[in-house]
Amino acid sequence: MAIILFYGLALYALCGIVIGIAFVTLGLAQVLPHASVTAPARILWLPGAAILWPYVLMRWRQARAAAKTHRAL
Amino acid sequence: MSVGFRAVQWNRDKLVYDGILLAAVALFIAGFAAIHWQLHPPTKLPDAIDIWIRATGTCAFLMLTVILSIGPLARLDRRFLKLLYNRRHFGVLTFLVALTHFGFLLSWYLVQHNLPNLLTELTTWKDYAKFIDFPFKALGLAALLVLFVMAATSHDFWLLFLTPRIWKALHMALYVAYGLVIMHVALGIMQGEYTVLIPLMLAGGLGSVAVLHLIAGWRERRLDRGIAVSAEGWIAVGPPHAIPDKGARIVAASGAERIAVFRDGDEIGALTNLCAHQNGPLGEGRIIDGCVTCPWHGYQYRLADGCAPPPFTEKLITYRVRINRGIVEVDPQPLRPGTPAAIKCPSNLL
Ligand code: HEM
Ligand code: FES
Repeated sequence: MAIILFYGLALYALCGIVIGIAFVTLGLAQVLPHASVTAPARILWLPGAAILWPYVLMRWRQARAAAKTHRAL
Repeated sequence: MSVGFRAVQWNRDKLVYDGILLAAVALFIAGFAAIHWQLHPPTKLPDAIDIWIRATGTCAFLMLTVILSIGPLARLDRRFLKLLYNRRHFGVLTFLVALTHFGFLLSWYLVQHNLPNLLTELTTWKDYAKFIDFPFKALGLAALLVLFVMAATSHDFWLLFLTPRIWKALHMALYVAYGLVIMHVALGIMQGEYTVLIPLMLAGGLGSVAVLHLIAGWRERRLDRGIAVSAEGWIAVGPPHAIPDKGARIVAASGAERIAVFRDGDEIGALTNLCAHQNGPLGEGRIIDGCVTCPWHGYQYRLADGCAPPPFTEKLITYRVRINRGIVEVDPQPLRPGTPAAIKCPSNLL
């Protein structure tokens, strides 16, 4: 039981770090297409993106889908 | 519209505030540790670390109490508004102090080479059904997690990204964290340490937060009720000079949104009391450099039409005002955001 919990948490944190880094480097351009974001600000947002990664992933996919339909029009 | 995001926007006031904050925290922790050291000189390294655990834990608890008290204090007395401006940095620093508390605890186990004991303690499930031996450290961890999420999402970007509704809900979890910390101490150190200081600290903190919220809420309820409404539905605000120059009086039609009626010299205008940024209480702000300035983070709006000065694009709902037999009145029907509605007041009334 304790082992499952431990590995579960570790997996969540690992996903968070990978998705968080991807989001602040690549994803922001899609979610905030008109914003300029400095490097320190991106680093500052990393912990939040890492801990809220399921929500971040959902919004990222939504933004990509919206950009696609926009281009198709 | 293009927005630029920077990590932290410091100005002189905020730097001073942060400096005072840091100094106060350092002084408190050092003072607490020094007194403890005098009273119970530690003989072993773990005992010395224990003092730092207590000093940082107490500091974080007091900081949480202050954060939760600033809101109602500022609603009761405008002089506390200054504290509200930089609540964000206060919150992040509280998380860092709590994190240090946790760090000292880890080192307490590490120097005794029994870190695995901590894991065993946290995962002895049957203890969670007990009261006296409840794993109080799990409560502390839960509170720390809440503080972490809040600190990590405190930047304006998250307000935009999560939407104000979700963001606000998320940050209300501070009350949950406070409750968890109280249980953490009540089920933890209070069970082993027989001193009145700890129950006193808990009761004092919880009591002052609760009483301040009740008084502020009660005062506002009374304010909302005692309002004169004319036959056509206009609300009486009072004579022009009763509105503080470069300040506002807040009124509300029964059940409706609050309206902030500002006066800038002889100009009188009414705006929604809700700031477009994070619904901060605009009517508690002042007119600075000709603009209504929100007390929370300093967003500015022109009194004449509720528009933020260029290059910003925020627009606030405005309301019609008039002077009827020497009394300023406001029409509670909201106008479209950005509609010019301010009036000039005859000088003989001021
Ligand atoms: C928001 C986070 C936290 C706050 C505000 C907090 C606050 C406190 C306070 C006020 C005390 C009592 C200190 C005293 O007056 O003597 C305390 C004790 C303690 N806390 Fe925390 N705590 C937090 C998180 C944690 C975490 C995450 C852990 C460990 C997993 C932890 C472990 C302990 C321990 C072991 C003690 C007892 C220290 C002793 O025996 O002297 N705390 N905490
Ligand atoms: S709420 Fe942030 S500036 Fe008004």
